[in-house]
Amino acid sequence: MLVQSIFIFFIAALGYLNSFFGSSNLGRPLIMSTLVGLVLGDIRTGVMVGATLELVWLGVFPIGASNPPDYVSGSVIGAAYVITTGTDAASACVLAIPVATLVQLFWDFLMMSAIPLLAARADHYAEEGNAKKVDWMHYWAIIIQTVPLALIVSCGYYFGMPVIEQVIQAIPAWITDGIAYATGIIPAIGLAMIARMLINKKVACFLFFGFLLAAYFNLSIIGIACIACVMVAILMLNQNQTVREEAVDDDNEF
Amino acid sequence: MTTNSNVHTEQNGGMKKLSQKDLRRIYWRSCQLDVSWNYERQQNLGYSYAISAAVDKLHKDNPEKKKNALKRGLEFMAITPQLSTLLLGINAAMEEENANNPNFDENAINSVKTSLMGPLAGIGDSLIPGTLRIIAAGIAISLAMSGNIMAPILYLLIFNIPAFLIRYFCLKYGYKFGTSFLTTVEKTGIMDKVSYGASIVGLMVIGGMIASQIWLDLPIMVGSGDFATPLTDYFDQIMPCLIPLGCFGGMYYLLGRKVKTTTILIGLIIVCVAVCGIAALF
Repeated sequence: MLVQSIFIFFIAALGYLNSFFGSSNLGRPLIMSTLVGLVLGDIRTGVMVGATLELVWLGVFPIGASNPPDYVSGSVIGAAYVITTGTDAASACVLAIPVATLVQLFWDFLMMSAIPLLAARADHYAEEGNAKKVDWMHYWAIIIQTVPLALIVSCGYYFGMPVIEQVIQAIPAWITDGIAYATGIIPAIGLAMIARMLINKKVACFLFFGFLLAAYFNLSIIGIACIACVMVAILMLNQNQTVREEAVDDDNEF
Repeated sequence: MTTNSNVHTEQNGGMKKLSQKDLRRIYWRSCQLDVSWNYERQQNLGYSYAISAAVDKLHKDNPEKKKNALKRGLEFMAITPQLSTLLLGINAAMEEENANNPNFDENAINSVKTSLMGPLAGIGDSLIPGTLRIIAAGIAISLAMSGNIMAPILYLLIFNIPAFLIRYFCLKYGYKFGTSFLTTVEKTGIMDKVSYGASIVGLMVIGGMIASQIWLDLPIMVGSGDFATPLTDYFDQIMPCLIPLGCFGGMYYLLGRKVKTTTILIGLIIVCVAVCGIAALF
């Protein structure tokens, strides 16, 4: 348990350092849950929990000045719970959503208080023209977030796991059933959020094209993505051609 | 020939110029842009960290300019991390001019930064976390559902290979063309084409995910005895995946009415639990 908690600490730290490694999506639920599965000796379950949680937090990413629930802690704890208790993947949400919301409160507190203070120090060092010390404020901002957050997650695992099983067993079945149903619909929120961001009159029909391909022909997402790429290529190449033809027509008219 | 090149090197010796190595440092440092995000000036620490690689070298012997450059780096910054290198490249090119030209108007750097930040973040957010991540996630999730352990690896590869290439080319061309970059891009209209193509692929994947990743089994039977059929079957006969499409439509409508996502999420869980609770009473 102690060894596993230490591994969980490093997994969570890796997740929180996502933006340190080029915002490369390292902290996404699918990656975190798989790593937890690796440490707890059940990768397959880890991957499956990851898929469920990835869907739940699909529409969630930092955009502008709003910060989403902290899916790193949610997926680590959620995956650890499912793997240690052996329940089905969908029930990870019962734990993951509240955990993510609570940890985000703490993270928000850090981003509102501690890091602006560091930024104020950085202003001071910039006034002195000391580039090295300005850089160090950036390093401190990394340490001050990653270590406490990863500690919270690993302590939550170490102390929480034995207790949480009994707590969740005490919850009546209709509540967990309700949450399981909600888990099936929650991806719709994320998909709708992103669709709203991308959609305009010129491309709206492609949403339904993709839907119909999957609904009637049972095509996989890889298949749909490939068809979409070919369609884009066709559209782009023909677009140039029609423009050229029109130009030729114009020449004939005059 | 030899005299020519001698003159050239002499001029270069007097001019302060960033080397490939410095640009590489900006590239790697730009990877940490979001890690020191805060509510006051957002990515200011990360941005100053990335640009200070150039500032340190260019203004080594001019403390006044160095001080101003460091302060400029710490101004408010909000941009998609993968496109930040475009701004960093332009900024580095301007800073270079600033170091060589005593009459350079330093305010120009700030005004370029603030005027580019908004539009770039707009394009970037729909292109990178919107489209690219959705394509990667859609493919990975459909594999991961069946427990395929290649899924997370594929997720990272599909997202990161284009993302890091974009980061590289943004820095290269941002530095090369400097402030003239945007006028060149606007003339060719390539940005419109890229976002048009990307949104087609993104929307088709979203459409596919509506059909395959949203599920709601209505546990209601219609008819009695041997003729009992689940209600879901009737909907599926009208059109397969009609219920998921309805769920999506509902969420799309709610988001259009400016309902907050967290409100929708919590509301949805409460409604589902309440319905199950009422069903459990009977």
